Amino acid sequence: MKKVLALALCLMMVGTLASGCGKETTENKGNADNIGITEAPTQEGEVTPDVTEGAKKVEIDTSKTIKIGVLVSDATTPEALAFRSYYTDYIQKQYNVEFVYSDELKDAAGEKSAIDTLVTNNCKAIISFSSFDRPAQIEQCAGAKVYYAVATGTLTQEQYDKYKDNEYYVGAIGPSLEDEYQTGYDMAKRYIDLGNTNYAIFGGAIPYFTDMHIYRAAGMLTAMVEAGGADANYLGATTKEAIVQQIYADSGIQTGNIGSLSIVAYVGGYDMNDAWFAQCAQMAQTKDLQVILAVGNGSDFFGAAIKGADVKIASVDAYASSYGDAMNAGMLDYLAGKFSASIGPVFAAVYSTVNGYPIRTDEGYALALSQGYWIAASSDEFQKYYAVDSSKESPAYTKSALDILVGSDYKTFSDFVSKYSFDEVVQLSK
Amino acid sequence: MKKIDVQKQILKIAPVVALLILFAVFYMVGTIKDINVAYGMKAIINQSVVVAIVATGAVFIYTLGSFDISLGASVAVSALLGGIVYNATKSILLMLAVCVGIAVLVALFNSVLASVFNLPVFVTTIAMLSILNAVVLMLISANGTGSQIAVPSEAVAGLDNLGIKVLVLFLFEALCIFVFNFTKIGRKQKFLGSNPVCAKLTGISDKKMSIVAFVMSGIGVGLGAFLCIIYAPTLTKNTATSVGMDVIIAIVFGGMPVSGGARSKITAALIGAFSMTFLSQIMILFNLNLGIGQMVKAAIFLFVVFVATSNQRAKMLPR
Repeated sequence: MKKVLALALCLMMVGTLASGCGKETTENKGNADNIGITEAPTQEGEVTPDVTEGAKKVEIDTSKTIKIGVLVSDATTPEALAFRSYYTDYIQKQYNVEFVYSDELKDAAGEKSAIDTLVTNNCKAIISFSSFDRPAQIEQCAGAKVYYAVATGTLTQEQYDKYKDNEYYVGAIGPSLEDEYQTGYDMAKRYIDLGNTNYAIFGGAIPYFTDMHIYRAAGMLTAMVEAGGADANYLGATTKEAIVQQIYADSGIQTGNIGSLSIVAYVGGYDMNDAWFAQCAQMAQTKDLQVILAVGNGSDFFGAAIKGADVKIASVDAYASSYGDAMNAGMLDYLAGKFSASIGPVFAAVYSTVNGYPIRTDEGYALALSQGYWIAASSDEFQKYYAVDSSKESPAYTKSALDILVGSDYKTFSDFVSKYSFDEVVQLSK
Repeated sequence: MKKIDVQKQILKIAPVVALLILFAVFYMVGTIKDINVAYGMKAIINQSVVVAIVATGAVFIYTLGSFDISLGASVAVSALLGGIVYNATKSILLMLAVCVGIAVLVALFNSVLASVFNLPVFVTTIAMLSILNAVVLMLISANGTGSQIAVPSEAVAGLDNLGIKVLVLFLFEALCIFVFNFTKIGRKQKFLGSNPVCAKLTGISDKKMSIVAFVMSGIGVGLGAFLCIIYAPTLTKNTATSVGMDVIIAIVFGGMPVSGGARSKITAALIGAFSMTFLSQIMILFNLNLGIGQMVKAAIFLFVVFVATSNQRAKMLPR
């Protein structure tokens, strides 16, 4: 009897589950129905709404709250917290939107589950900070008729070509690989110009073949090759392309001389175990070391170890209070940082699209815009930038600035995004 | 019917009732909050099916009073090797065979260590967990991309539908129910789990039963690995990392006695896996932040387990 009961319960369970397998389950209501757009959404070839001077003003019905999902693979670093604060503490209060954040994602399966959950919660669009499998994310969102955008990152050219005309792919705004290369180059160049010759490099996610870290490191090495004298080379490579290729081949950086300059130590990866932290400490205490060039956060891993030594640390990350403290304590000398409001334009693009006014290139393709870093080479500079970036009332991109983008044309949008230096951003917000 | 019998019957169906209550709460709150309940059901099946299959196989090990914490890592290794074989051969069937084959081999290795060398299963699976985690890193490093092994999504897109997942779940569940409830194997395992000394004296071989249990578990792990690839064909070192712990929670949540024995239920894994996912979705519906959500889930988990096991506590013999 017990067996029969168990079997019957099991069959009931499976039957109940199978009832949820219908194909029509992914259907969402059309966006225009939900948000009450006052004008019909434009199609390719029709007149695009224009908010520039003298143009027809887009009227967006803001009476209904729009849910936007956010995928995050990092929920705890200063950079991640600053981005989250901009969306939840500023944007959410200025616009009738609700951000629904995923848990901290660890793999592609997690991304897929999170998108399912966000779609279930009626999110009309998803902004992704997670990059385990971007093509799968785009296809899943398109399948669920939910808009998708990449924040603080870009697709590869191959991926962009594949998805640029997908109507649910809004686009990507973030540092391009060229920007990443230039960031590394400028960082190394600064210390070379100051007369330093002995460097250590923290390679971050180079062992995991993370493109942006590889390009930043390639920029650093190229600057050294250029400044190292006539025969200077990095393992025989002298051009940007060859150096990039060499780093990919080694999945790391080799120590040694580059002409008159030296790479005296290198640590890569984020193992975060005792052995790895010991390696970091050992690197920071290398004899004659002058500068640690980090492709990511350097002060957290090496700051304590350089106390008392005349070693400078240069990092790439974001404007967070902890970096201000590190600069004041002499544990950080140079920061190429994303400003938290840099994710404002991608929100504007998504908000505009969800409201029926997609912002596409003249050919009708998704956005692929580059936006670089703010550079602080002193504590005063950092504080000046941080004061603007951390403001909850008047951040770098205020509502009035972002309103220029909502419903705008591609040229207005791309011009706006391309002016990302501190002075330009402050000027735009005025 | 005596009062105590009624109470026993109620407690026996407590996990099922808990699942139905969670489903009802999800449906009602979801409807009130105007979520896409139909899509949510699909998401819940997608999120539960791997854990349900792996946990169902693992019930055979738990019935013996044993405990395997290397299941998540075994799923990862099987999936990675399955992915590598697919990329080399372009054969889905071969990928499935490798996933199941590797998982069964790993399980057999565990059972040999445990039964032939008379080592405690818990100890051998701790060692196996370390080994498998190292293998995961080696496989990913050796693959050439350094961070992932990716099966082309187009290759498995056709299989990534609920019909196939539910079919695999149904078939494996049916197989396990048959073996567990309608053959001597199930009875012997429950006997061994309840009283190993007595079981041995009646001629039941604990070694054979241990091998059978691990093989059944291995089949579940292999099928879970195959479904992992279908669901998310980009595999990394973090693939299936949560599966090991989810399996343990699901089995307990479903009303399975941790000590195994005669009260073991094969359906506990299925019920527990879906209950967990419903609970997670309900937490998200209430928009609880991660910390509070986890605490609420833990409290509900403890309550359900308390109710489900309350008829097992005040006994002279816990099994």
